[in-house]
Amino acid sequence: MKKAILYINQFFGQIGGEDKADFEPEIREGQVGPGIEFAKSLNAELTHTIICGDNFMGSNTEEAVKIILEMLEGKEMDLFIAGPAFQAGRYGVACGTICKAVKEKFGVPVVTSMNVENPGVEMFKKDMYILQGGNIASRMRKDVKAMVSLCNKILNEEEIGWAEKEGYFGRGVRKQIWLEEGTPASVRMVDMLLKKLNGESFETELPIPKLDRVPIADAIKDLKSARIALVTTGGIVPVDNPDRIQSASATRWGRYDIGVIEALKSGEYKTIHAGFDPAAADADPNVITPVDALQVLQKEGVYGSLHPFFYSTVGTGTTQAEAERMAREIVPYLKEDKVDGVIMVST
Amino acid sequence: MVKEIEKAGFPIVQMCNLIPVAKTVGSNRIVPTISIPYPLGDPGTPKEEQWKLRYHRTKVALESLATDIKEQTVFKV
Amino acid sequence: MRLEIGNFYVREIVFGDTLKFEQGILTINKEAALDFIREDERITEAELYIAKPGDDIRMCPVKEAVEPRVRPDGRSAFPGYVGELEQAGEGMTYALKGCSVLVVGRHWGGFQDGIVDMSGEGQKYTLFGELQNVVLVADTNEEFEKREQQKKNDALRRAGHRLAEFIAGCVKDLEPEEVENFDLEPIIKRAAEIEKLPSVVYVMQPQTQMEEMGYNTLAYGWDMNHMVPTYMHPNEVLDGAIISGSFMPVSSKWSTYDYQNCPNLKALYQEHGKSINFLGVIMSNLNVALEQKERAAIYVAQLAKSLGADGAIVAEEGYGNPDADFIGCYVALEDAGVKTVGVTNECTGRDGQSQPLVTLDEKCDAIVSCGNVSELIELPPMKVVLGELEALGRDGFSGGWADDEILGPSVRPDGSIIMENNSMFCGDRVCGWSTKTMKEF
Repeated sequence: MKKAILYINQFFGQIGGEDKADFEPEIREGQVGPGIEFAKSLNAELTHTIICGDNFMGSNTEEAVKIILEMLEGKEMDLFIAGPAFQAGRYGVACGTICKAVKEKFGVPVVTSMNVENPGVEMFKKDMYILQGGNIASRMRKDVKAMVSLCNKILNEEEIGWAEKEGYFGRGVRKQIWLEEGTPASVRMVDMLLKKLNGESFETELPIPKLDRVPIADAIKDLKSARIALVTTGGIVPVDNPDRIQSASATRWGRYDIGVIEALKSGEYKTIHAGFDPAAADADPNVITPVDALQVLQKEGVYGSLHPFFYSTVGTGTTQAEAERMAREIVPYLKEDKVDGVIMVST
Repeated sequence: MVKEIEKAGFPIVQMCNLIPVAKTVGSNRIVPTISIPYPLGDPGTPKEEQWKLRYHRTKVALESLATDIKEQTVFKV
Repeated sequence: MRLEIGNFYVREIVFGDTLKFEQGILTINKEAALDFIREDERITEAELYIAKPGDDIRMCPVKEAVEPRVRPDGRSAFPGYVGELEQAGEGMTYALKGCSVLVVGRHWGGFQDGIVDMSGEGQKYTLFGELQNVVLVADTNEEFEKREQQKKNDALRRAGHRLAEFIAGCVKDLEPEEVENFDLEPIIKRAAEIEKLPSVVYVMQPQTQMEEMGYNTLAYGWDMNHMVPTYMHPNEVLDGAIISGSFMPVSSKWSTYDYQNCPNLKALYQEHGKSINFLGVIMSNLNVALEQKERAAIYVAQLAKSLGADGAIVAEEGYGNPDADFIGCYVALEDAGVKTVGVTNECTGRDGQSQPLVTLDEKCDAIVSCGNVSELIELPPMKVVLGELEALGRDGFSGGWADDEILGPSVRPDGSIIMENNSMFCGDRVCGWSTKTMKEF
């Protein structure tokens, strides 16, 4: 039989209430508190229960995580469960924190449960399965039941359905599925249109996500002495594409010397971007990477100096995660050369 | 990519044609270009005109990096 | 305008002595058909095959799909393209139903070409896995684009349309099993009880982003890159006026077969007079420059308003920067007071975590979503390959690759493949067939 370990706080561990919230982590064999409820229908043996005070986890997070990970070292474990945490904020954050750490360290699946109002949901929903739980502890039996149902699917290596179907908070992963009832898009479209026209409620299949913003970086104080770097997602590369950058869904990037080059010449550079007609950029790569203009503007004293490499990859189909990683890989080169500002040309 | 570089503390200007895309992605400094396949020089126009356009917009981009902004800004070209 | 489509249901396709249609069996004289195809001197090599559901067949690179059609009065089934320019959408057209002509490159593929499997796990990814197919596998002397990633596929696509009309010729003098009527009265001459219903337009955004001619979707043979949005009668779309192009990751493609049978159009037709007053089609396009995208959106919104539309559907044939055309048009319609629903696919990346469309707007509150172009798909080998499977990895397919550090090559030595949905031939079926949707996990 597979094995699972449960994490709960001091209250559900029957240590005590708020006065015992500083309780240091403890591991016990067998089941405590909600563990008994889990054990009834879980397709695994609940071998241990870890109990930790919410304040101890909240105020000494690093230490608490370290102690617990050490306790788990060498224990057989196919699944790690925490909670349910209901609407208890500190408990929810604790469950998320320890689940994330256990998943990273031991690579085992983790499951927890929280109420939508619990701050732990926003903090951790992208990292793990958090079931949509009740707001008060009287919902214990129901929440545990929902958790066990998902846990058993994981333990039995069954396919896990989408968030709404399984009752967990969406993890920001959108994937295609085949509709069981096979309703074609044309029928769904008419249905949605009629509801919208008649003022009835309808459900979009693509909820518009909230946009992510970054703080505006401070402007360059003195452009005349500033060092500028050039980056593009337009796929301009030396004609032999030495870094084998893919023409779509790119995972690679390249940096190419423009220290002494007055302009990018056709025949020496080209675009490998597959998302548009390459003719213009192949005939004159400067239309995407304006090396010629930057060299002249530098000589004219508009800005101080040009970072002697340009950076290139392909934007089309490239995942945000890959783009972010590539940017993070490029940043050290910019820092090392004390670049002050960056021009990015996108196609 | 733009956001990640800006997060590292560099002011960055995105030169692109699809302003709505740059806005959605969250670029803070944006300078419009003329199209997707040839952002900085229409091959249907004389070389000299292409150069003028590219010189001008690249200069605007440079100057945008030295411009204080309070919100997402599309610079006029 | 009144269009009648006379249907002949094809249960089986066989090769034989003469081209004929009898009791659901379509017999093709292979040599005669091939001779006809070779009349185009660009065709250097050609062979015909039959592929039906359940066959252990994989096709690659698939370039086009066409429903065999012929007009009993002698007008071309594809006016302005492979025949004389004439009005489409009116009168009688005969169609061979349940079957298609598929065009497959003998060797060379590209960004715009894809895969069709006739059985197994891969079958469900395309509509054509469910149809009786006449498969033309051919090569051409178009040396200029042999090694190009973007191909016009002109000789092959024309061959497909010509073959479709040639084959359908065998029913020209027969009585169809069933006649479908598509009758939509002039907009301002409709019965009072129809006018009471909310009026709806269907806005189509076919792929037209190549500035060089020869790649884009055609309207009566005219490159739609060279037009601003205009009003079209839905019958024209269903009747061969629109010819699919050859530029886009192919899961987003609407083949000519898809235009001829467009389920979204038929669904709106079906509601006409019952729940809506279907006004017709605003034929837009997809552009490369922002100004062009904005201009198209202005035209669409103006047309919708002038036609008196209460509601609209917008459907795009593509993803990536075309999302800006799609969202721009959607927002322009909403701003004009037209209640709008969008139909599209998404690109959320192999990990599913990327922004679904490159442009988003809160006004787009009603979208039907048909799939993720970058979903990874792994399929076992098939006994028979029509075409050249290596093309998937070699020729710059939108969903294939020569090698990958983690995933290895798209085409493995044993004939199994790993690819992105991007290269499933017309896989996302935004034209209305799609039984896929997107869910958050």
